[in-house]
Amino acid sequence: MERFGFLARFARNRGALAGALMILVVALAALVAPLAFPIDPLRIVGAPELWPGEAPEFPLGTDSLGRDILAMIVHGARATLLIGLFASAVATLIGVSAGAIAGYFGGWIDETMMRVAELFQTIPNLIFVLTIVMILGSTLTNIVIAIGIVSWTSIARLTRAEFLALRDREFVQACRAMGMSNLRIIVGEILPNALPPVIVLSSLVVAGAVLFESAVSFLGLGDPNVASWGRLIGDGRQLIRSSWYISAIPGVAVMVTVLCLNLIGDGLNDALNPKLRDR
Amino acid sequence: MRVAPAGGSSRRLAALRLLRRRLVQAVPLLLGVLIINFVLIQLAPGSFLELMTAENQVSDPTTVELLRKTYGLDDPVWLQLLKYIWALAHLDFGFSYRQNMPVIDAILIHLPATLLLMLSSITLAFVVGVAAGVVASVKVRTVWDSLVSIAAMFFFAAPSFWLGIMMIVLFALKLGWLPVSGMATIGGGGGVLDVLRHLILPTLALGLFYAAIYARVMRSAMLEVAQLDFVRAARAKGLSRTKVTLSHVLRNALLPVVTILGVQMGTVLAGSVVIESVFSWPGIGSLLFDSVSSRNYPVVLGIMVLGSLVVIVANIVVDLVYMWLDPRIEIR
Repeated sequence: MERFGFLARFARNRGALAGALMILVVALAALVAPLAFPIDPLRIVGAPELWPGEAPEFPLGTDSLGRDILAMIVHGARATLLIGLFASAVATLIGVSAGAIAGYFGGWIDETMMRVAELFQTIPNLIFVLTIVMILGSTLTNIVIAIGIVSWTSIARLTRAEFLALRDREFVQACRAMGMSNLRIIVGEILPNALPPVIVLSSLVVAGAVLFESAVSFLGLGDPNVASWGRLIGDGRQLIRSSWYISAIPGVAVMVTVLCLNLIGDGLNDALNPKLRDR
Repeated sequence: MRVAPAGGSSRRLAALRLLRRRLVQAVPLLLGVLIINFVLIQLAPGSFLELMTAENQVSDPTTVELLRKTYGLDDPVWLQLLKYIWALAHLDFGFSYRQNMPVIDAILIHLPATLLLMLSSITLAFVVGVAAGVVASVKVRTVWDSLVSIAAMFFFAAPSFWLGIMMIVLFALKLGWLPVSGMATIGGGGGVLDVLRHLILPTLALGLFYAAIYARVMRSAMLEVAQLDFVRAARAKGLSRTKVTLSHVLRNALLPVVTILGVQMGTVLAGSVVIESVFSWPGIGSLLFDSVSSRNYPVVLGIMVLGSLVVIVANIVVDLVYMWLDPRIEIR
């Protein structure tokens, strides 16, 4: 019943519903990519620089080398969504741990954690990501971790605020009186109550991570074995005079995906945060 | 003789106090940046010395020996860290063989162009975002409100570098209104107007993303402030709606916008680096990519440190603006 209420509240935000449906389509494309386009999307299959609609077998045209843009977009959806989700997971893991510890224990631990968060907000985030990837190598894992490392601060601040508000409530005091360990109180008692707003923020971090990844691969520092959307935009850049569609199409894909992820975040916010509900 | 009002001088004092506290706080922040740099160097495959000399394959034994000494590579790690911090505290970021000049000089040559792009983009974002937010809140639940919402949604989702490329296609290649790239026309005198013409597209590409954020924040802040008691009191006093909106509501609604502007300084700097690569803008972005692709680590690490410094200074400026807007708050 409760779950049904959540879905109903989410669906009442029509933008969020449309966003969720669109993301489902993208995710489906990512899932069926190897079936629908079984050959390597980076293989040359036709004449170069065919405009969308020019040849029926390539609905979105071909790029400068004669590779099928539709196949590359569909395969790119995999990389883009996976990197976005995993990077957000890394950021959430770091942010929730740091925020929970800071908010629960307070004092100098809190002070130190918040200084560290400030430090990570000071370092220009993308420059930091590029430096990590450059020094440690352009692999998917490194890119995911690097994006996670620069994206956790807002989640940590929010988690900390929630923990500060909850840590002295009666149910927590009762747990302490019963002699529960700090770890059990943090993970088992406070965290479930603190989570709803954090989930909303994590969903927005996915959108941010997709943008980050696209910038990293646009600049040529992406994983060379992966045809992510950002890389396709970068590849098409040399040809904007004759064939600007090569850059335009993957950019639209990024924009639509990020837009839908943001809409889903708004919807989750409406559905999960009772304070703002019915506003 | 004119006597300064008491309020003015106490505010100046408060501003000075804030400035001093911020400068003190900046020290551990910069130290943190240096330590992160150092950890990255330690994590890198190969020794620090190899990293420092990788570019141009420096094999001259005296140079290698000099670097060995400067960075104390035979010392224990903690001593190496201290020496590294000591060197950087003296602005000794090493020597860039590629530019054939000290790293600090190479960066300082490129910094002004980046600062110009950052400043123009933030200004654009602030003016457009605040104006759009005010319009949306005054005309709430009308076509204008929806238009602002939709535009904000799109610019918040579009990758800035892609937006830049698309604007080049439209405004430079198809319409021919504005230059494709660079900061000045080659051999074209290079007056202020020329630079401004080159500045328009990169500013839009970088600034519209932030304008979208500020428009959304401004709209909700305006709507929230408009419900507060003092606004009703001002209206009851007989002030016109326009006057109340512009002088009472606007000023207070600006506070959250200024706050996030401060938080985002680092992102703006990083974003400008990407935009610079799209428009061949001669800022630290071009230096960064050149250094990344040639594995010129000292320059990259130097950019991290100086970039963080720029962010810290920009944050102090934002704090002072905040204080001017809201005299009640003494920022800690």
